[in-house]
Order: sequence, then structure tokens, then C-alpha cells
Amino acid sequence: MELPDIVYSKDEYVETASGNKVSRQTVLCGSQNIVLNGKVIVQSGAVIRGDLANVRTGRFCVISKNSVIRPPFKQFSKGIAFFPLHVGDHVFIGENAVVSAAQIGSFVYIGKDAVIGKRCILKDCCIIEDGAILPPETTVANYMRFTKNGTMEGGQGNPNFVPPAMQDKMVEFTKSFYEHFVKAG
Amino acid sequence: MANFMVESCVKFACSCGILNPLSKLYFCRHCLKIRCGFCLCHEVDVRFCSNCLENIPSSEARLNKSRCNSCFDCPCCHHTLSIRATSAQVARKSGEETPKEGDAADPSKVLTKKSYYLACLACRWSSRDVGIPDQISAKGAWPENEYVYQSRFQSILEYYQNVVIQNKQEKQEMMRRKTLKAHKFPSLTDRTGLNVSMIRRQIGWPDKNTPKITKATVTPSKALEKFDELPEKMFTEKLNLRNVTTIEQRHGQPAHQPFTVNKLYPQRKNLCIKRSLRCRQCEHNVIKPEYHPGSIKYRIQLFAAYHVPDVWLVSCEKPLKAGVLCQAVLKLSNPTIHDMTITIMDLPTQDEEYEMMEDLKKSFEKNFTSLITSSSTALSTSSFSRQTSITEDPRLVSKKTTADMKMLESSFILNHRDDSAEFDELAENPTVKDEHKFIVSRKSNKVSLKVNFTPNGDLVAGDEVIIGFTMQYTYINTVSNTPDKKEPQQHALTSRVYINMGRIPE
Repeated sequence: MELPDIVYSKDEYVETASGNKVSRQTVLCGSQNIVLNGKVIVQSGAVIRGDLANVRTGRFCVISKNSVIRPPFKQFSKGIAFFPLHVGDHVFIGENAVVSAAQIGSFVYIGKDAVIGKRCILKDCCIIEDGAILPPETTVANYMRFTKNGTMEGGQGNPNFVPPAMQDKMVEFTKSFYEHFVKAG
Repeated sequence: MANFMVESCVKFACSCGILNPLSKLYFCRHCLKIRCGFCLCHEVDVRFCSNCLENIPSSEARLNKSRCNSCFDCPCCHHTLSIRATSAQVARKSGEETPKEGDAADPSKVLTKKSYYLACLACRWSSRDVGIPDQISAKGAWPENEYVYQSRFQSILEYYQNVVIQNKQEKQEMMRRKTLKAHKFPSLTDRTGLNVSMIRRQIGWPDKNTPKITKATVTPSKALEKFDELPEKMFTEKLNLRNVTTIEQRHGQPAHQPFTVNKLYPQRKNLCIKRSLRCRQCEHNVIKPEYHPGSIKYRIQLFAAYHVPDVWLVSCEKPLKAGVLCQAVLKLSNPTIHDMTITIMDLPTQDEEYEMMEDLKKSFEKNFTSLITSSSTALSTSSFSRQTSITEDPRLVSKKTTADMKMLESSFILNHRDDSAEFDELAENPTVKDEHKFIVSRKSNKVSLKVNFTPNGDLVAGDEVIIGFTMQYTYINTVSNTPDKKEPQQHALTSRVYINMGRIPE
């Protein structure tokens, strides 16, 4: 099924020169520490905590409504330290998701209501199912799918969990999401 | 919602008759057929640990029983364990070497010693819970559990390995006797030494160089006649279910199967694999991933989405009514770099489908017998381990169309894909003269077209409306199997497409 158009009003979103579309109803703390590399959509209600550490996303990312991007921290004997959060290209973060990963690769799909624990590493082409809870410090390898039941399934070449052409699928999906995210009028 | 996360409403029939979305299908470019996961032979290519992402060669994996050397799973929830560091303060002993100059001022200063333990961040289990002592190094020499039946299983394993080797030897012996002698007189100038044993046998001497494996002995298991009575406390004491392990936890440690939670020990993490897929008919690779575990690339990737035009359902006139003509818009896209001519045709009838199944079965049989003969000529290669014989039985397509689709009156051209067009703002949309009426719009390699269909009259509310058609497309094969034909060949290929248009409303 072709994606339906998502229409937004002109007042609600700010479009930057590099094509980022950021809602005004977002909480972007420490905006000088947030880098969106172009054609990124940040929908209303999203929270990005740039005040804690640097947040950098690649191109064609989608940060859906009410999701929280929060750099991870680690507790040391002399206090705590925050680490920067890097997100690759063509990453989709679903609604109400909470992301505290240390690193998110490219072509990653994070479902809605998912919780990514602190200092997780999501490699390229992995899927986190809707409502899955990823415990802290977990590594999700390439072409793996973390299910709602807390199991890791799949692997490169296994057709049943992550599509073998995940890279193309995510590129196609994020690009068509951007194309169908249109201004009213 | 991304297309691959929801069940797709457009499905393609594989040559075996199973319906799949295009994202799960492959295209064998030597057979020029669509293949699904069941029509392919799955092979283990690379073994790696999904936590430390280390590539583990097959010999090492076999030695470690396909488990990672450094990563552990929680015995409680089967999540990966993390290594935690703590620093414990140890008083310096008098016998230790004199402290450095900086510390000299305070001889009573305590040493901080780092120690490590394993903890699960998902269920809060830790190695301290079961009394495993903390380790001094991060990698840690974590204690391996000795199992009660370990030696017994080892001896049984050895016994059966011996049995297999013996069977193989006997079979080879049989074959050697059966094969006719090529010459009456064995060559005496043979340098390989292979004939030595033959000459020895003719003279009547025993074979020297092939020691026969003697049958290993193993004490057979005996069934017990008598059992101990259950202890009295089983009936009198109250059972605390919190201390009893669950079935999953016991299955996680099959060799041990502990009854109480204080016997749960960390388990080495199972390895993950990368698969390469091979066409069962022509034995060519369809997918071959890159060896490096961190790589997402493929060395061979023949996804159907790269060769077969994809079909999307853009919109459908709602509400659907049984027996009333409806209109829908479909979008087709050409993934190849050659223009395609597309013809939409009727689905094959049931008889034709049976015929196709028969053809497929025959081609498999032919292929299989040729493989068998080729392998029997090369007798020495007994490693005929590929699962060629197991083929998916072709079947009728399970989905039946529940609507009558009006076929398009003529075929049309689908423009080739041009990656640069995306960046070229001035590029004009291709205009085709005498555009067909059913074509709504064209954009680079995509075409939107109108189709008309009538849901069957006998459909009731809640029934699915499914349309189906055969899509014939021209395909330019750039790789030729035969060396003498260098010219790219054009083929007319067909695939059966089924589209779920939605349900008849209540």
C-alpha cells in the first residue's frame, strides 16, 4: 500500500535550508548540540535532550510524535557522565518511543512505544518491534529483530524476520515518508 | 507504518505456488524464476556472536559447541549478561613490596582492588546470587560447570562416531569390490602408491596402510527396576515456588536442568549465523552475504525487487459492494535499467496451474537425477551433503480471487529506472504519444493506472475482495549462461499477482 499523504499546516512546522522539517511543538533542549543532517522530520511532541550531550542524526530520519531522544549516561565513582548519541541515515523512530542508545546505525526501524535502554548499540538494518523493551547495554546485531517478547531473531539471509533488502526498504520508506509529508495549501 | 512491518496487500506467487510479498522473494537469474524461502537451499555462511560481533570459524565453533567464548546469557531470562566492575578495598599486607614514593607517606593506605562480576540488566540477576566468586580480570575465567553425565555422553558420542566411520569404510570396501578392474595387470610404475594396496591384496597379504577401526565398546544403559521412594518432606513441607526454576530456565541448561534457582549458572551465548541461499534447481547462489559480521552488504543479491516490477495499491474506491463495478489505482515501478513492456493478463485456470506444477516437478526430477549421476561418477567425493533432494512440493495458490477484474485492452511501456533523475530538477516527465486511457500518470520509472473490477455477487459483509492477474513483462538478461551468446537476451516473463482490496463493509 502506498503511504497516504500527511498534511501539516504552514504555521506548525519550520523547514530549514537543508530540508529538515521540525515541529514548533517540540522540546529541543540545548539546540546548539543537536545536529540534523538534512531532510529529517521531527514531529510534534518529540523531545530531544541536546542539553545532556550531543545528538546527531543522519539524513532522512523520522522522529515521530511524542518520542524522546535522550543521550545515555554512565555512573562513575566520581559522578555521572553523559555520552553523545549518534543516529545513522534512514532511521525511523516510532511514536512514544524512548531512545537512550549510545549508537544507532543506519536503516534502523524502531517501532512505536519501544523503549531503548541506556548505552544500547543498534547496528545497521535492525528492527525493534512495537512496544519492545530493550534492556540497557544490549547490542542488536545487523539484520536482527528484537521482539516484543524480549527475544532476538533473524540474521542476514533469514527471510522471516528482517527483509533481506532492509537497506532498500528503509531508504524507500523514509524517502517516501518525506515526500508524502506535505504542507497544506 | 512501513510496508515491511505490516502484512502487504499485494502478493506475488512463487513458482511453487506460495504467496509472498515481493520483499520476501528472490529472483534466480539463471532459471529466470521467482523463488521463495522454501525453494532455496539455506546454508550457514558465517558464524558470529551477536553480542561481541566476533567472527568465529566453523572449526572453533564446533569445538565450543556453537557458543561464544566471551559472552554469557542470563540463566534466568536468557538476556545477555554484562560485566560489572566493583572496587573493593583491601588492606595492604605487610609482606607486599614497598609502596611507591608517592604512597610512602601513608603506609597504612589501603589498596583498591578491582573485581568483576556478571549482572543481567533485564532481570537483575547477578553471578553473586548463586555464589560465583568475583573475578580479577574483566574477561574472567568463569567457572565451567561439570555435569553429571558429561563423561557418559562423551563416550556415547565417540561410540557413534566410530560406528559412522566403520559404516563408511565398509561401504567403500563394497564399492571397490564391485567396480570392474580397468586392466588385468596393475601398473607397476604407479607412483601414487594407491595400487600398492591392490597388489598386496592380490598377493594375499593383508592391507597394511589402512588400519581398520575396531568397534568401540560402550556399556549399554540399563533400565532401573526399582526407584527410591519419594522423601517424606515432599509431602509435608510447603513448596516455595519462587525457588523453583521454570521450564524455560531448565531448557536453557539442558545438561543440568536445575530444580532450584540457586543452581542457575551463566550460560555461554549461542552463536548467530549469516545464511547464503542457493537455488535448488540450478545450484546458483541467490544471496551471499559479505563475510564480515559487521557488514550489511551482499556479494550476491538477487532480490525479486531488483528484477520484477513492483505493484502498489494506491487507492481503491470505497465502499466495496458485491456485484458493483469498482475502480482502483495501481502503481507499477520498473527496478531495472531497461524499459519494460507490461501486459496484464488473466490468471491461469486451475488446469493450467496443474500443468505448471507438473512441469516444475519434472524439471526438478531431471535436475536431481543429473546431479546424482554426476556425483556417482566422482565416487571419491562422498561429501554430497547439500539438501538438493528436499524440494518444496508445488501447490495451487491458496488464495482465490473473489472479484472479476477487467483486463486492460493493451500492453504498455514502463520506463527504465534512472537514479540521476531524482537530482535533476529540470528533467521532464516522459511523455508518451497516444497515452492509453487507463494510465493516470507517469513519473520516472513509475506508472499509475486505473483498473476496474467487480466483486463477486455472492460476497457477504466482511468478506475479502481479492483481485488477481498475470503480469507479463519483458526482461533483459545481461548475463548469459552460454559463452557464445554475448548479446543480452530479451525474455517475456510472467508473475502472478494477487491484491487484497479490502473487505465488504458491514
